[in-house]
Amino acid sequence: MYYPEPISKLIDSFTKLPGIGPKTAVRLAFFVLNMKDDDVMDFAKNLVNAKRELTHCSVCGHITDQDPCAICADTSRDGSIICVVQDPKDVIAMEKMKEFHGKYHVLHGAISPMDGIGPEDINVPDLINRLKDEEVEEIILATNPNIEGEATAMYISRLVKPSGIKATRIAHGLPVGGDLEYADEVTLSKALEGRRDI
Amino acid sequence: MHIEQLRLKNYRNYRELDIAFDDKINVIVGENAQGKTNLMEAIYVLAFSKSHRTPREKELIRWDEEFAKAEGRIRKRGQTLPLEITISGKGKKARLNHLEQRRLSDYIGALNVVMFAPEDLTLVKGPPQIRRRFIDMELGQIQPRYIYHLGQYQKILRQRNHLLKQLAHRQTQDTTMLQVLTDQLVEHAASLLERRFVFLDLLRKWAGPVHEGISRGLEKLEISYQASIEVSEEANKEKIEDIYANKFWEIQEKEIDRGTTMIGPHRDDLTFFVNQKDVQTFGSQGQQRTTALSVKLAELELIYHEVGEYPILLLDDVLSELDDFRRSHLLNTIQGKVQTFVSTTSVDGIDHEILNGAEMFHVRDGTIDS
Repeated sequence: MYYPEPISKLIDSFTKLPGIGPKTAVRLAFFVLNMKDDDVMDFAKNLVNAKRELTHCSVCGHITDQDPCAICADTSRDGSIICVVQDPKDVIAMEKMKEFHGKYHVLHGAISPMDGIGPEDINVPDLINRLKDEEVEEIILATNPNIEGEATAMYISRLVKPSGIKATRIAHGLPVGGDLEYADEVTLSKALEGRRDI
Repeated sequence: MHIEQLRLKNYRNYRELDIAFDDKINVIVGENAQGKTNLMEAIYVLAFSKSHRTPREKELIRWDEEFAKAEGRIRKRGQTLPLEITISGKGKKARLNHLEQRRLSDYIGALNVVMFAPEDLTLVKGPPQIRRRFIDMELGQIQPRYIYHLGQYQKILRQRNHLLKQLAHRQTQDTTMLQVLTDQLVEHAASLLERRFVFLDLLRKWAGPVHEGISRGLEKLEISYQASIEVSEEANKEKIEDIYANKFWEIQEKEIDRGTTMIGPHRDDLTFFVNQKDVQTFGSQGQQRTTALSVKLAELELIYHEVGEYPILLLDDVLSELDDFRRSHLLNTIQGKVQTFVSTTSVDGIDHEILNGAEMFHVRDGTIDS
């Protein structure tokens, strides 16, 4: 053992974080030793609180410290339109845009039979119940544009079809501010498929 | 196109290699297990970013080393193009013109290679996956978009097979998801099949005359594609999609029963006919080899006409497998126009004017003297 036990435990903890390898973990651990006591206490408290005080909203599945979450509880938002995303981080991304005033539904994953993830393992049954109870006119399927995300969107659209609720899929294509010549072929052909009248 | 220079680091039994090649014929001579095939493989890896011998990339790294690197300087359309493949425990990096390419379909196709190794002699008589692999590799290097569809197809196929297994074992009853995956699969299956038909057309066009030449006008070669659905080769993508969709609908119960996907490009095959006889079943050993050789030589022309330049030809230990006439025919075909790498344990007995003017390289235990 090269390190005294407290610091080797701290290094171990850091390596559990994504994107942190053994070398970075050592650097972070030694940095913590040189931090002010108050800062370290705050750090530890924030870690614990984030885990302890945050739950998933019982309506939409977004992470929240109150139930229902601030978005679901906000009566000024349009409840007739629900944006379905895979991850709480996607809600944050949509909210940063400040242009969407409907509500959300967070699936926490995508359907993938290979990984044993079926529709009932992600938040799909809750979504269907919501559609029955609330007055929803449209759901926007904003899952990731890969095979699993696409399959999940197609699956949900098939489930809601009989109800007459409109299901839409977000567009795929060129990033705004980018150059056409640098776009890869697949993106270009998707952009061409999704072209519209102007 | 040709390779001007090849550099290897920690690649199989090569610790460090920096070697310049002739743009015509390069003969690699050496005893067994000295590194002849490893050198051929390195050129193949530069073209396809994967080995023809193993799916386990770590095998390419020299014993006890962290990474393996192959760099090549290619001359193509009058310009120099550097290629680089690095393989380490963390994965693989492909660089084209010093820029990392995240999608393999952006990398493959920069260097075109046709390899003819002893195992290719089994193209005709071997199992169907050898022929499917042949189509996938050759079509992929002239049409990067094919690789994209193939990758997507294989991913969806894995998902679909898992779901079918779950349905077969009654772990789920949900056939809506099956239909979603079927729709996704059909789209890519149709793209693959449509492209394969176009490729077959080109292959027939070039393989016919080549085979006639090798067989001294005695044999006529035909190639037929055995699809797992009934479809005309002239059908467009929409038509093929329709046929797949209907067929999948028809066999859904059966697929659930068996727990696997029963039709699609991954179940198709090629059949070769010589003078209207199926070579795999009725051909002699010699006819099977001639057919394999014709198909490989046809590829040289096919790539020349599709890409605009001849590919690099790798002949790994096959010259000794061919009789005098076929060997001469082969060497005359490539004369002066195709950069060729020939590996052999000995040049004795291979007396051909072309080989006499070739650049010779002697391989011993991972080092090369020219």
